Order: sequence, then structure tokens, then C-alpha cells
Amino acid sequence: MTTRFLSSALVALAALMAVWAAPVNAHHSFAAEFDASKPVTIKGVVTQIDWKNPHVWFYVNVKDEEGRMTRWACEMGAPHQLQGRGWLRDTMKIGDVVTVEGSLARDGSKRANARTVTTADGKALGAASSGDPTTRP
Amino acid sequence: MTERPAAARLVAALLVSVATLSISTAAQRSGGAPAKPTPHWPDGRVNLGPPPGEKGIWTPPGIVQLSLNPKSVNRASPTSHLPDNITLEAVPFQPWARALHAARQADFERDEPHTRCKASGGPREFITPYGVEFVDIPETKRIYIFDVGGPHTFRTIYMDGRPHPKDLDPSYYGHSVGRWESESLVVDTVGYNTKFWMDREGTPHTEQLHLVERFTRTDLNSLKYEANVDDPGAYTATWTGGFILRWSPGTELFEYICQDNNRSPQGMVGADASVSRQRRIVP
Repeated sequence: MTTRFLSSALVALAALMAVWAAPVNAHHSFAAEFDASKPVTIKGVVTQIDWKNPHVWFYVNVKDEEGRMTRWACEMGAPHQLQGRGWLRDTMKIGDVVTVEGSLARDGSKRANARTVTTADGKALGAASSGDPTTRP
Repeated sequence: MTERPAAARLVAALLVSVATLSISTAAQRSGGAPAKPTPHWPDGRVNLGPPPGEKGIWTPPGIVQLSLNPKSVNRASPTSHLPDNITLEAVPFQPWARALHAARQADFERDEPHTRCKASGGPREFITPYGVEFVDIPETKRIYIFDVGGPHTFRTIYMDGRPHPKDLDPSYYGHSVGRWESESLVVDTVGYNTKFWMDREGTPHTEQLHLVERFTRTDLNSLKYEANVDDPGAYTATWTGGFILRWSPGTELFEYICQDNNRSPQGMVGADASVSRQRRIVP
């Protein structure tokens, strides 16, 4: 019981740390590609991870209530920035179920800028997003 | 059940620690806790790098602006502001330059060459999120600025008293000569091309740009950057803007190859086939 309580509390703490993370800059203008006023939550299965500069991209297959599959592309910060937030290049693996909190692309395509990524075990990591609310005083 | 209060106390202590860390960081940024003094070399020269035996690079504290523009599509971090920095409204733009700046903002800065992995001269070199390092080699009378953002480049500042060459071919970083004025490194640069934005806001310039940058390490953690812009091709008068860079202790530059998987241009303006070649600014 205590262990479970502690685990839950530490997960909450990790989420808090992820949100509290320092403001992030990026090599491109966040507003040119994404819309901070359009938040999105994407839950699905990771199908591809491009752990590369200038931004890490990963792809998630999302199944809707009618069983239709949609492929989403999600942008994070640079590998160097992610490592500073606790990521390793194999933290997320193909086949993992993840929940992505972020912002939609302006052009309406199935792309999003990730703010946090929560893995199936409940571990939430900051995605080094240039659209982090803390960058918007 | 009897252990729950102990666990709760532990979690509460952790949360208090996080809160304290947040407050102390904010306090340091706002000057609450005194930073260590500016480091110097044995000959008295200011050390713009890490103290011996330590690591560190200069990074912008979030987004920084050469001139203050609270209406920018990407708002600056207040901790980066110089006291009494120039506002965008006060910048003496020529009409075409003001219109171009406005157009670049209206397009959410999506046409910026830096996002195409191009080198970025002037102030923009210091606005990369991944930091810069000053490598001062007095034996060669040169200071190098290593910059991993954009195309992973370096810039040379000649400290040997040479003049600017005549008939320079315009280039991204221009030709830089430097000197120490008391505690400040002063760098005079001419010979710029116009293939870059000198800040990420889209502040225009021409090949007539003559930039005088002043770098002052006011304490261990802060580097005041001031740029005097003299460009009769774009402005009606000279003007000075700047920002404060933050020391990131314990960190070093790293390999960053922007060209490896740069999907930003397509994300910002669409695929090549969808880009209008009729626009005044073709990205």
C-alpha cells in the first residue's frame, strides 16, 4: 500500500518536474508550424522513432472507436535537450503505448508538437517543446 | 497504514524541495542570490569561458530579442532583457525595412534561413538554443566563437590589430576584428551578406551593415550582449539593442548536425510543390 502510494506520488512528482522544466528555445519558430491554442492528446502505439537533429520525430498509430487507424507524427526537442530531461535514445521503443500531450500543426495535418510523453508505466517526460507554456510569460 | 504519514512526509519533503529549487532558481535569475564574480585569467584578461577545471557554455534563457517586442509571435524570456533595452517601436527602420520585419512576423518567422540550417551572423549567432563557446587563444591573437546551432560553425575574431580588408566578399559572419576595452570584448564586423536574419525576429539588414558588438561578463553567470547597428541601407540612424546570455555550468558543446533530418521547412511552408513562387518572399 505504502509502496503503491509512494509510486503514485513519485509519478506525480515526475510529471510536475516535466511541466516545471526550464523554458525551451528551438531552432525554428514554434508558431510557424504549430498552434498553442489547439492542444491535443494522442494515445497510441509507437511505430517509428527518428532520434536525430534538429528535432526528434516519432510516429504513433492511433485507433479510433470504430477501429480506423491514423498515423500521427510528433515533434520533440533536439536529442541533447531530451537527454537533459531524462531521456535516453531507447527510452521509447517501437511497440510502446504512449500518451502525448501537445499542440496541433497549423496546417491541419496529423502532426503535433509534443509537450510531454507518458509511457505505459505512467512515467511522464518533458519533450523539450518550444511551445512549453513556461516560454509564454 | 501507520506508514502512510511517513510516506506522505517524504513526498511532502520532495515537493517542498522542488518548490525551493524553483524559488532559488528564480531568485538567482532575478539577482536574489549573488553570483560568483567575473573570472579572469592570470594576466587580468576577462575569461569568457569556464574557470579552470570547470565546464560551461553560454545559452539564451529561452527566447531572447535584440529589440523588445512583446507582440512577437515568440515572446522573449524576461530574464534575458537588458535594462532599458530599445523597443521595436524605437528602432529607426526605413519604411521598407519596417514593412519587411512586419511581414516576417506576420508569417510567424517561418522563412528564417536559420531554420534551413544556414549560418546566422550577428546577434542571431547567440540566439541558438544549444549554446556558444568563446575560445580565446592569445598566442594566436584570435578568439573563436564556436556555435553548434544552425550548421555547426565557428567564427573568427582577429585580435592582432589588423584592419578590415578592402573589397570583402560578403559572407554570413563577415570579417571581425576585436579588442579589449577594460572588462568588455568589443568586436567590429563588416562584410555581411544578406542571406541570414540578424535575429530570429526578422530584423532586416543590408550589405552595408557595420556591427559593433560588446560582450561584458558582468559576473560568472551573466554575459551582457550589446550590438550597435550601423546600416544606412536599412535604418535612418544607428541604434543599439541586446540581451543577456546565461552561463550553463557543467555543459559543453556537442555534435549537432542540423541537416541530418531537418523537416522544419516543409512543416512551416509545405512541400516544394505547394510553395507559391509568386510571393514577395519565397521561402
